[in-house]
Amino acid sequence: MPEMNMVQAINDALASEMRRDDRVVVLGEDVGKVGGVFRVTAGLYDEFGEDRVLDTPLAEGGIIGTAIGMALYGMRPVPEIQFADFIFPAFDQIVSEAAKMRWRSGGEYSCPMVIRTPVGGGIRGGLYHSQSPEALFIHTAGLKVVCPSNPYDAKGLLLASIRDEDPVLFLEPKRVYRAVKMDVPEGDYEVPLGKAKVVREGSDVTIVSWGAMVYEALAAADTAAAEGVDAELIDLRTLWPLDVDTIVESVKKTGRLVVVHEAPKACGFGAEVVQLVNEKAFLHLEAPPARVTGWDTPFPYSMENEYLPLAHRIAPTVLETARF
Amino acid sequence: MSVDPRQRFDGQPGPVGERLYAQMALIRAFEERLLLLFDQGELFGTTHCYIGQEADAVGIINHLRAGDVVFSNHRCHGHFLAYSDRPELLLAEVMGRDTGLVGGRGGSQHICYEDFYSNGVQGGIVANAVGAAMAEKLTGGGAVTVVFLGDGTLGEGIVYESLNMASLWGAPVLFVVEDNRWAQSTPVDKELAGDMVARGRAFGMSASEITSTDAVELYERFGALVEQVRETGRPHFEVIHTYRLCHHSKSDDRRPEEEVERHRADDPLPKLAARLAPGRAEALDREAEARVDEALAWARAQPFPEASELGGARAKA
Repeated sequence: MPEMNMVQAINDALASEMRRDDRVVVLGEDVGKVGGVFRVTAGLYDEFGEDRVLDTPLAEGGIIGTAIGMALYGMRPVPEIQFADFIFPAFDQIVSEAAKMRWRSGGEYSCPMVIRTPVGGGIRGGLYHSQSPEALFIHTAGLKVVCPSNPYDAKGLLLASIRDEDPVLFLEPKRVYRAVKMDVPEGDYEVPLGKAKVVREGSDVTIVSWGAMVYEALAAADTAAAEGVDAELIDLRTLWPLDVDTIVESVKKTGRLVVVHEAPKACGFGAEVVQLVNEKAFLHLEAPPARVTGWDTPFPYSMENEYLPLAHRIAPTVLETARF
Repeated sequence: MSVDPRQRFDGQPGPVGERLYAQMALIRAFEERLLLLFDQGELFGTTHCYIGQEADAVGIINHLRAGDVVFSNHRCHGHFLAYSDRPELLLAEVMGRDTGLVGGRGGSQHICYEDFYSNGVQGGIVANAVGAAMAEKLTGGGAVTVVFLGDGTLGEGIVYESLNMASLWGAPVLFVVEDNRWAQSTPVDKELAGDMVARGRAFGMSASEITSTDAVELYERFGALVEQVRETGRPHFEVIHTYRLCHHSKSDDRRPEEEVERHRADDPLPKLAARLAPGRAEALDREAEARVDEALAWARAQPFPEASELGGARAKA
């Protein structure tokens, strides 16, 4: 089994699905010959040609808008938005058209497409190359939102997403892109949407995270372990539909919850996770659920590591929550 | 089941003028009934009528074949009726019924039926139309996609992204701008700078314009344009200068009365009626009224959707 980083794993998923299913097309800014700014689509243009790997104008609304039309007419488009920070010109297309197609056609039409986009900090990109806008899209009824934390999940989740009948927003944590290598099967496999994964079992406190912050939460759990606190860590993998059962089951065991995400705190997805736990496991809680998140300011350039909820910020909250 | 407007139209007896008139009479009767039902409190929400612009819909859509795609907008009744000839399904939808076009989820502006789509958000559908056309091109489907814009929609940025991509990629799309001179309550000279047709030409596609409410004239012109798009696989941008004789939606008409009155002379129905055999227009008007009566009786008997549809995965979370 070859070792792959996340860029290679996503590339492998795209290539193998394009070989298997000729309805799959890739489109976006610079995704063709150059293979995208992160080279995630490298080699696809040479293998599949310009009819299936389309370099587009700088037109995020147009990229998603045309992908929607393609999806309605039998294709499986996988448009790329170069950075999640550039997705807002396409917000209307995603929210008004893609997300509502199944509903507004009385369930008759679906819009099977996967919008791939890199999210989060990690490249010192400043405020327009670092954001994590997942909550805006989770709030939009009709979308699925996925965020893998590792190469294996990235490939399996992307294959499952392309084969899904509904639009999926596929968030790729750029901090992880080349930072993690692991064994990834060359063959076909899916990681099912809507299933979280317990990546560290523990009995004292539940940590919920996703994407690049899973590694920080894991490091914080190790710190806590050294202090005698046994943390359980859940990697959501799919943000929506949320695997609420896995979270609730864990909280019923630990009685304590810490949610970690890069996005700002106010109305971040952590708030929804916390409230769902309040609704479903309130009487099991032994401490107020806590959040460790980015700050309620735009993403900074020089203070990236102060903005991100890194392990040294997570660990104290995990300990406080465990000892409340 | 696929809708084939051209086959339906060509298969009907009688002169072209009469057949076009019959369709326009149905659209007119349908919308006048909607306005009446609103006044009587039987309809809710809002509606955008096409009164005065009917010649565009029948002039264009009767050239479309099975599999051709139509993207319409908030002012979609005329396009839909010319496409489908199914007034009862649209009426049930406007009345919010479960058996309406999209199960009472969309109402007047947001409908889907076979290869017909409409949406109340301006401009966004233009990109979707280009994508649909690209899918047809890439998969060898051979369909033509028609997308209806208005003069007001030319203010939206996505329109120009879409024109650029359609021309670059060679998408078989017919862009139809129905310039009715008013974007809701704002006159065209307050909402649009420069030349409409030049916008299409600037992107390197063929573009032209016509000032007409004559259904036969439009029908003849668009026969050639639809075939041009089909044969060349390239987009075309056509502007029809027309006029809306009714309000934008239901209560926002600030146009000078004398301007509206002046345009009544161009009302496409009397314009064509005068050229039909004596008594034919009146007979077709009566037939249209009868079809609307029938559609209304059916729609009134339809059930409303169940609230249990709401929530889905969210309710379960």
